[in-house]
Amino acid sequence: MRKLKLLMLIGSLFSIQLLFAQTKTVSGKITDAKDGSPLAGVSVKPKGNVTAGTTTGLDGSFNLSVDAKTKVLVFSSIGYSEKEVTISDKEIVISMVQSDNSLSEVVVVGYGTKIKRDITGSVSRVGAKELANTPVTSFENALQGRAAGVFIEQQNGKVGQGIKVRVRGSASVSAGSEPLYVLDGIPLITTNLSSNGATTNPLADINPNDIESIEILKDASSAAIYGSRGSNGVVLISTKKGKAGKSKIEFGYFTGTQKPTRKMEFMNSEEYVQLFRLAAIGAGRQDFLRGLYPTLQAAIDANVLFVESRMTRYSAGNTDWQTYKVNTDWQALAFQDAPISQYDLNFSGGNDKTIFFMAGQYLDQKGIMVRNGFKRYSGRLNLENKVRDWLSVGMNMNFARSLNSRISNDNAFSTPLQITALSPITPAIDPRTGQTSGALDNATGLPNTNYPVYYNPILSLENASYGTAVNRTIGNVFANVTLMKGLTFRSEFGIDQLNQNEESYNGRKTRRNNGGATFGTGFFTADQIINVNTNNFFRYVTSFKGAHDLEAVAGTSYQNYKSYNSTGTARDFPSDAFTKLVSASTKTDASSSETQFTFLSYFARANYKFNNKYLFSISGRYDGSSRFGKNNRYGFFPAASAGWILSEEKFLSNVKWLNFLKLKASYGQTGNAEIGNFASRGLYSGDAAYGGQPGTRPTQIPNPDLTWENTTSSDIGVEFSILNSRITVEVDYYQRKTKDLLLSVEVPGTSGFATQLRNIGKLDNKGFEFTINSENFVGKNFRWSSSINFAANKNKIKDLKGQVLGGGVNKAKEGYALGTFFAREFAGADPANGDALYIKNTLLPDGKRDRSTTNNYNLAEDVEIGNPNPDFIYGFRNNFSYKGIDLDVLLQGVAGNDIYLAGGQYFAASGSNGFDNQTRDQLKAWQKPGDITNIPEARTFYANGVNASTRYITKGSYLRVKSATLSYSLPKSILNKIKVDRVKIYVRGQNLFTFTDYIGWDPEVNADFSASNISQGNDFYSAPQIKALIFGINIGL
Amino acid sequence: MKNNFLYMAIIGGLVIAAGCDKKLDTVPKQSIDELNALKTASDVQVALIGTYADFGGVDSYGGRIFLNQDLLGDNNELTWTGTFAGMTQIKNKAIPKDNGFVANTWLVSYRAINDLNNVLSALDVLPTQAVKDRTEGEAKFIRGSLFFDLVRSFAKAYNDGTPASNPGVPIVTTPTRGITEADQRPRNTVAEVYTQVIQDLTDAEAKLPTTNGFFATKNAAAAMLARVSLQKGDYANARDAANRVIASAIYSLRPTYAQVFPASAAQVVNHSEDIFAIQVTTAQGANGFHQFYSPQSRGDISIKAAHLALYEAGDARRNLFFVSGGSTFTGKYESRYGNVHILRLAEMYLIRAEANQRLGTSIGATPEQDLTRIRQRVGLPAIIGPTLNDILKERKLELMFEGHTLHDIKRLQGTVGLLPWNDKTLIYPIPQRERNVNSNLTQNEGY
Repeated sequence: MRKLKLLMLIGSLFSIQLLFAQTKTVSGKITDAKDGSPLAGVSVKPKGNVTAGTTTGLDGSFNLSVDAKTKVLVFSSIGYSEKEVTISDKEIVISMVQSDNSLSEVVVVGYGTKIKRDITGSVSRVGAKELANTPVTSFENALQGRAAGVFIEQQNGKVGQGIKVRVRGSASVSAGSEPLYVLDGIPLITTNLSSNGATTNPLADINPNDIESIEILKDASSAAIYGSRGSNGVVLISTKKGKAGKSKIEFGYFTGTQKPTRKMEFMNSEEYVQLFRLAAIGAGRQDFLRGLYPTLQAAIDANVLFVESRMTRYSAGNTDWQTYKVNTDWQALAFQDAPISQYDLNFSGGNDKTIFFMAGQYLDQKGIMVRNGFKRYSGRLNLENKVRDWLSVGMNMNFARSLNSRISNDNAFSTPLQITALSPITPAIDPRTGQTSGALDNATGLPNTNYPVYYNPILSLENASYGTAVNRTIGNVFANVTLMKGLTFRSEFGIDQLNQNEESYNGRKTRRNNGGATFGTGFFTADQIINVNTNNFFRYVTSFKGAHDLEAVAGTSYQNYKSYNSTGTARDFPSDAFTKLVSASTKTDASSSETQFTFLSYFARANYKFNNKYLFSISGRYDGSSRFGKNNRYGFFPAASAGWILSEEKFLSNVKWLNFLKLKASYGQTGNAEIGNFASRGLYSGDAAYGGQPGTRPTQIPNPDLTWENTTSSDIGVEFSILNSRITVEVDYYQRKTKDLLLSVEVPGTSGFATQLRNIGKLDNKGFEFTINSENFVGKNFRWSSSINFAANKNKIKDLKGQVLGGGVNKAKEGYALGTFFAREFAGADPANGDALYIKNTLLPDGKRDRSTTNNYNLAEDVEIGNPNPDFIYGFRNNFSYKGIDLDVLLQGVAGNDIYLAGGQYFAASGSNGFDNQTRDQLKAWQKPGDITNIPEARTFYANGVNASTRYITKGSYLRVKSATLSYSLPKSILNKIKVDRVKIYVRGQNLFTFTDYIGWDPEVNADFSASNISQGNDFYSAPQIKALIFGINIGL
Repeated sequence: MKNNFLYMAIIGGLVIAAGCDKKLDTVPKQSIDELNALKTASDVQVALIGTYADFGGVDSYGGRIFLNQDLLGDNNELTWTGTFAGMTQIKNKAIPKDNGFVANTWLVSYRAINDLNNVLSALDVLPTQAVKDRTEGEAKFIRGSLFFDLVRSFAKAYNDGTPASNPGVPIVTTPTRGITEADQRPRNTVAEVYTQVIQDLTDAEAKLPTTNGFFATKNAAAAMLARVSLQKGDYANARDAANRVIASAIYSLRPTYAQVFPASAAQVVNHSEDIFAIQVTTAQGANGFHQFYSPQSRGDISIKAAHLALYEAGDARRNLFFVSGGSTFTGKYESRYGNVHILRLAEMYLIRAEANQRLGTSIGATPEQDLTRIRQRVGLPAIIGPTLNDILKERKLELMFEGHTLHDIKRLQGTVGLLPWNDKTLIYPIPQRERNVNSNLTQNEGY
């Protein structure tokens, strides 16, 4: 080795000698076109020689010795348009223009980076500028509408809760469908650890303002290097680094208010009483028909008496309901004033040896629903040092603490929006006690058991708490060794550690919703996850004969994920002042558990470029996972892609308007391993204690053949830019064919099991995406740019071996998109008697369906009634700037999907399903023979027409003004006077306007308690999304 | 220096790679492999206890297997104001094939059956004949009980047409080791299921000890056999089995009716009248009746005046009802951690009385004597020379809201409103999910 080094040294000295004889020196200075400030760190390279070159210094200047034959220098810097300058005798003084869509942009890919121009796969990039200062809890929200083919949906407007992200459609029925998130090389913990039936989002621990860029690897050629976890796409998050130059101090602050995007309309007292009077008569008719009373009048009388007694009960025991004196708007009480503030302070800088980035953030966000809130403190230090010219080491370190004050899942009586079920005739404060309605029954001295109609969620606001506290440390250390020219070795060791505590206390006044516990109950759970990951890989870059560029990467990766949980519950506390379990007289339960998975992987990739216009890439990963049985532990996931930059060809060199044209195609395989950690084994679990004695039972039927879900993807695309690169367009068409679906297959229940995980079935996604970036107008002072992204994805289940999966209205069924809604077709009220009618839809011998109606739900058949998957999604961004004023507007939309308003069975039930307050449209219920209406007769507790049907399906398309920011940057003249580098003030609206025909709260919805791959697009008292208006300032020193 | 680092890095990388292969062998911590689950006597005992956990699940013997049948058979005596749509459908006798509660009762019951079939398959590892017998007896008690409630919920009543050809439910007596063609089980006939039930319970009675903690005993099996025989219309066997339980003299009526159903915030243990009860503790199990009948919980079922009017003046059972917030509730389920009473001595007296009356016998005691025991406790005078109707009325009031309503209506060929006892809407549908995966299962009429 030593000899080799010596040889190399001699060789290089020799070559320098040679160079010396034929070189010339070029010098110059680079500035930012925007404000004339010097640009440090700009790469300066002779055209056609990627290995030579230098970077500009702190003052923007450079000195470069180049081959005498060199005619053109290429200047490039992240975030700026690449520039080519012909060498003359003069010093090169140029300014560079900032750009979001430059071809020279460096894009992060798996285990490396690539210039956008040379990418042959499909990668979407969203930069820091687009993410910055978004008033949201988690960064995925800020991505919404910004990346083609990436569908992002927040379940509801509760802060810190689950967000669904689908890259090019859902590729799995039973296994996980969320992309793999990798932060600075570490696969992140995304496990939902919530205990209350509504998912939380572990990604909310990350400060969005720490992020430099997010790359989403969408096709197989870019994702296959993540092998068995690439099928759902890979989201690479890179955090900010310092830049050599003057150290910077940046301070950011915003504050504002938040409101629900939309509300629903419910009946007032008068309408409520009227409808339930009708419902009593309707129920009386039914009772009589069933022979429960001797005469119709007797039946009606009995029901009217019953309803009136209930009206009196819900009217706090008096007859105010008869005069509609009390008219409580319960919905308004579910919402709260919701301020949001965020403080950022960061320092960055460096010299030629060391760069650093230090950031701290505090976010204080109230939710729009009462008792909901989120706070996050986070700190980061990214440090990198060039120890030797051949060795650089670094460390990225992030700690965060997030505190989420949470509310119950959508299916709980205590969730704020279920308050809308309470009667408008019920006063908020019970006049008999002067306390919140439901808090006290004078007769018993305990909380009421059946007043108001349901448990009053306000009691949980006042007497209960549920807190989720997370301490998160994400860090990695790395070393980059230059072994020889072009060959580097990188070693990364990262830990993502998550400690979460959930603690809740339900006080005495929550008794009705608390299993009758008179003296309160408490709950505590602690989770600890240690996720260790190490990557070790070589990278080799070379170019030879001026025409061949080769880059190769090869290495290994190992991940070990361990998770521990312990939990305790208790009841009977001395008073509500004592909320810790230590004070409880009865500890009702305690448990602990542990689980683990490991991945061991080998990966490699080679990129080859010929003549700067023919691009080839192959990659592969050999993955092993503990999740699969011994026989199928390893899988191999290869991919290949190619690109052709036509604009470099002679035959296009005369086409002046065409600046760039690339065709590309990729093909490859990825896998999905997102199943339970021990899903292949036959298991007996020890969770079957009985009467205080330990017990076991069989809980899982073995499947030793269980293996990866396999997705084969192909992608073809074209990228071009025209009119002086003012307009750039990217178009992709893809197909993703998934086979061996990891399916929870329903099995005969007589076996003692309900499902078995098997590799069965096929599912396809195909679609097309385009992105257009356009500099519509570039003037001296005024600039207008637009960006459009559009994606249409079609999901289709090809084969499930004839099975139909899904418990609710959403089904997974062959020939249909995943989660397609199936239910009876509702045909309104029978004009003769007010019965809910359904279209039979039974298959006739001639293959048609029987379109006659029936009032017997069982005689009608389920048919496809809608699709929760959008036909297409889009984003449209416009940016206008004039001198220091900047207006940025992002529209985001989803089209062609349907939503099942599952709560309708209670609140749009013509008073036939409980005493729930109803939406105003229910007043149109059938009343007398001959009435033609879509609302069946009101009949208390006869559930007339409330079973699943098209009655509750509605269109879910929407278009939103996702964000609109108006900012003003102080001009240099003022800044110089006050000795500040930058000052920007802005006002920003998030989810400012929503245009939709949806009849529920907000069309971006999926009931949190039931959300799954199959169960999508359900609205069940789900909190509407948050609309925010903020004012902010950024100061740079 | 650089070279050393290079070597270290490469060697380190290889070590990491090679050392990890073993790391793919992770083991579950909360579960064990099924192959290791039934190896010792202790393993089999805990698996038997696990069977009780599923058996006593809230969808099965923990309550709903009875409670939902009471809703289905309600004769305008109770008011349902719940929000569980599946139960509203049952109450309205408009049960869709995919009703989730119906499916869960099926699934949980068969899960318990598979649990116990596993236990029965491993009797060989048990050390003594006595332990073997007890274990076998407990398992068969549970199997017999479950098949009985499955067949009477999911199939035509025994007295409806021809039980020898009416489809019942699939009988499963072997543990599931894998899903195969054999799991495409057709429905056995009603008669076959009854035969299996009686065989299991007879075996259980023979093999079980008289005392066995709160687990199944000889008398529990006999008591269940009495119930089954009565449902079948086999009065002699019903009478004799009930008589065996009473004659064992292990059980006694609680002094007052209220003491049978103690209202307590704390955990309640079995009492002298309990022949068998599903255990509910603060940590395990749940009382499905409490959940819906008690205003301390959901309070979805309140009692109509029509029912209250059935009681004679002075009937202590009438006093157990109470008013909360303007509605009347039964006081039977005011204990959150109260055991679910499955078989209690009063039922045995009533079975013996009814059977003796029908057969004109006085085995054990005269019908009048048995009836008097029940009536005296609740402060009612004896009926001299009671008629069958007197006994049946007593039975209804004594056992109300305990899961007998619909089955008695079917047995006695009564009505539910205008519906005759054998109306098809009074039988559960075979769950749609089950028919989706088992083409050999036929659906009940009307679904």
